[in-house]
Amino acid sequence: MEIEIPQIEREKDTFEVRMSFRDLSVSKNEVIRSLGYPDGTLPVHFEKMIDDILARLSKHCKIQAGYRLLEAKKQEDRNDGLFVGGTFFKLQKIVTSQFRKAEKAALFVCTIGPSMETWAKKLSVEGDVALSYLVDTVASVTVEQATDVLHDHIEKQMDMRGLKITNRYSPGYCDWLVSEQHLLFSFLPVNFCGITLTESAFMVPIKSVSGIIGVGKAVKRVDYTCDICGMKDCTYRAFRIAKAEHSKYKS
Amino acid sequence: MNELVEKIGQCVERGKVNKSSPYPNDMKGMDGADEFTRQALEAAVGPDAILQVCNEGMQRIGARFSRNEVFVPELLMAAKAMHAVMVHLEPFFKTGSIRAKGKFVLGTVAGDLHDIGKNLVRMVIEGNGWEVIDLGVDVKPAKFLEAIKNTPGCVVGLSALLTTTMVGMSKTVQEIKAQFPATNVIVGGAPLTMEAALKMGADGYSPDPQGAVAFLDKVSVANITQ
Repeated sequence: MEIEIPQIEREKDTFEVRMSFRDLSVSKNEVIRSLGYPDGTLPVHFEKMIDDILARLSKHCKIQAGYRLLEAKKQEDRNDGLFVGGTFFKLQKIVTSQFRKAEKAALFVCTIGPSMETWAKKLSVEGDVALSYLVDTVASVTVEQATDVLHDHIEKQMDMRGLKITNRYSPGYCDWLVSEQHLLFSFLPVNFCGITLTESAFMVPIKSVSGIIGVGKAVKRVDYTCDICGMKDCTYRAFRIAKAEHSKYKS
Repeated sequence: MNELVEKIGQCVERGKVNKSSPYPNDMKGMDGADEFTRQALEAAVGPDAILQVCNEGMQRIGARFSRNEVFVPELLMAAKAMHAVMVHLEPFFKTGSIRAKGKFVLGTVAGDLHDIGKNLVRMVIEGNGWEVIDLGVDVKPAKFLEAIKNTPGCVVGLSALLTTTMVGMSKTVQEIKAQFPATNVIVGGAPLTMEAALKMGADGYSPDPQGAVAFLDKVSVANITQ
């Protein structure tokens, strides 16, 4: 039986999701593919290193996640963004088309905390650069998966209200300017989920994800359309290709 | 003796650091770059010959990386093996009996804390025979200017991973060019393109470490022939 992840309402329509490491299942295959290796080509040595990192991962993860629900409205005559909580978010067509029928938006954040980046930095300083790189990659896969769990959680919560959700989008991706991160964070409580933002829109801890999910009776969560985006060097594109291949492999 | 030198190059290319290193699997228990370099120097092999074969080894692994035959972990292991050789060669650099191809001042621009890409570039460039002055992350323009002043003839590399910090990168390039117009600047990082690089006034752009090496080698040859 699937266990429901608890959430608490910290402020009106602002929820902290009490996710733990046990809610994740970080896959070695996903780590390997995000490193770029086709199936079966990862040198044994690195595979052992990844196994060792995964064995220690739970001790290095302090997952915190949350979201705020706000009214959302897209103006019929413009495709360059939408109003969230009465404020205009400048988004590209790739994103706004998904929000056409959204009534609300969930602004979310998720982090695995600073421990993995501290570990990777220490290894790098000690000269163990390959292991450091692998720790960083495992951390990226982990925070992405924690965000998947948060996304699914929001979907279940909205389903209970008779609402559906869209895909998620983050500043810096799908042509959404990373500087809009400041706008997104302005709607969240200060230091929400332990995440702060630098002047240059950099999240601290580094292994954090923020973004927006559309909510409404007539919106859909669909496959990502990476092929229509011009951003070729994108972490999400790599993750999604890895995930699609992993699903094929499992089936 | 030639065989010994060739083995050093092979160890660098394969990322075999020393005897106790379990990587790569098929070279477990064998001597690595560390041991072969010591043996070569004891056998009176010239440090320049060792450096040359290491650079060739790094170029081979770099070319395989560009062809997607190997990935970042292999490249990093090669750089680590190269570092093991450089520890032995350091005294020769100090006495001037061998020289680096040139000096490269490197840093991630102000406001940006990403260091993995920058570190990868540093290790590959060092492995290709350049001395790298790594200024770290979140480097303000003034720090770059001071490093350039203290390192005459250097080439400068700027890294940025965020579109927001590209603005700071552009400002840094412009300040460098205003004060040191002859200094070559190369930029890199996920949000960049050649078009953006040229627009901000940089001399070069590379999406990967090998491209940066090619740029440096080109600049180095141009400086020698001038």
